[in-house]
Amino acid sequence: MNESQSGLRGRTASPADDADRAVLALVTAGQLDALQDLYDRYKTMAYSIALRITSDASLAEDVVQDAFLGVWRNAGRYVEGRGSVKTWVLSIVHHRAVDAVRRRRPTTELPEREDVPPPALQVPDIWQDVAAGLDRAEIAAAMETLSTVQREAIELAYWGGLTQQEISDRTGTPLGTVKSRVRLGLLALRRALVGDEAGFTDPFAGDGA
Amino acid sequence: MTEPRMTHEQARDLAAGYVLGALERSEEDAVRDHLATCTEPHPEFAAFGEVVPALVELGDLELVEPPAALGARIMAAAAADLAAHPRVTPAATPPAPPALSAPAAPTAPTAFPTPAERAQREERRRARTTRLDWVLRIAAVVAIVAVGAWGLNLQQQLDAAQRFDRAVASVIQVAGQAGSKTVILSAGKDSTASGIAAVRPDGSVVLAMRDLPATSGSQVYETWVIVGSEAPVAVGGFPVDSNGIGSFTTRAATTPPGAVIAVTLEPHEGNTAPTLPIVAAGVAIAPPPSS
Repeated sequence: MNESQSGLRGRTASPADDADRAVLALVTAGQLDALQDLYDRYKTMAYSIALRITSDASLAEDVVQDAFLGVWRNAGRYVEGRGSVKTWVLSIVHHRAVDAVRRRRPTTELPEREDVPPPALQVPDIWQDVAAGLDRAEIAAAMETLSTVQREAIELAYWGGLTQQEISDRTGTPLGTVKSRVRLGLLALRRALVGDEAGFTDPFAGDGA
Repeated sequence: MTEPRMTHEQARDLAAGYVLGALERSEEDAVRDHLATCTEPHPEFAAFGEVVPALVELGDLELVEPPAALGARIMAAAAADLAAHPRVTPAATPPAPPALSAPAAPTAPTAFPTPAERAQREERRRARTTRLDWVLRIAAVVAIVAVGAWGLNLQQQLDAAQRFDRAVASVIQVAGQAGSKTVILSAGKDSTASGIAAVRPDGSVVLAMRDLPATSGSQVYETWVIVGSEAPVAVGGFPVDSNGIGSFTTRAATTPPGAVIAVTLEPHEGNTAPTLPIVAAGVAIAPPPSS
């Protein structure tokens, strides 16, 4: 499926992406009103993600503040061509929110670092493709392609802030099985959302789930 | 780091957990180090990572607006950060925080301004008061605390800095609320005192001031609100000890945008006309409506 492939790999930036990159360049230069602009664009999404993960309005505010300060200080580390500004910003929010809930849980060790770098992960972004090309019903259908245990593992990881080891402990499932569920669940989502014929093949195919 | 480096296979095994943020942070660091140096391709990271943004769309995320004050707090913190660590990017010149190196602005009032001067000043300020300007005004004083705390070695000075920090925090708290106004208090003639204040919707003024000479006996620093050509209205006085910090909330008053907030040293509480000169003063400014 070449069309989806080119849409994924070589997709041209949307006007929103271009505007975001221009704003981020001004943030890098230390323009405070550019940061305000970026905040206004993504504050609702950022706060909603933080609130969902922390279930604590005050902690969610701290997370969003921390994340946007991270963006403010590290805007120069954003790499163009490896994902949208939106994905980058929201991944920092997610990362900080997970840190916050883990810090609240006494079982997880977290190094007390003053300036945690934002996640280095930046990937080609299908967010806009997904949002523009699919309606809610299709998105729900994509989720349906996951087995219950796969969906549970992904949700505990992404929204619960649990490590794979913690998911294993909590669900009484061997760690290897948890890893497989997470991996196969993400692959199923990928297939449902963008197709995969010419793309990626699971390096672990055949090791069971 | 003395631990053996992560192998290619180990990193590949952790890819799905990595993109979901489901690794211990130490594992995550190890993966990141590996990816930074590995010469072989790791397509699984991009393949899994591409799906992650969609999880937000898929997760039936309930959209909740953050409180309005959060934006103001973030901008104040960013402005303070900028003041403490100026950018050196040559491509663009960041606007300089107006009060970083000199809390006493050159436009400091040295006597009660005439109504005409006040009107002129207010017009000038309105013209250049952007949201950015407003935030910078708040943050500049915070930055002074951050910079000023560096190199302190006397406990008393440290306590003073901490007290001022707390006082500024309560001002910013008020400043971030809807309907509030902000005031930068600049030193008057023969004074080095300065500070920041926020005006609540009921017109009461929350002050944070530093470098005030200590009061003695019945002396107080009195706060005045001056609207247009009307006589100054006393809204409350406070003593100051040797740390020089003033942290005070006045009575409610009529304090519209453009009103002058002034502080004078008075022999006792309850004076109805100010004793000159003014120790510090500034104009109440309403932030432009956001967005």
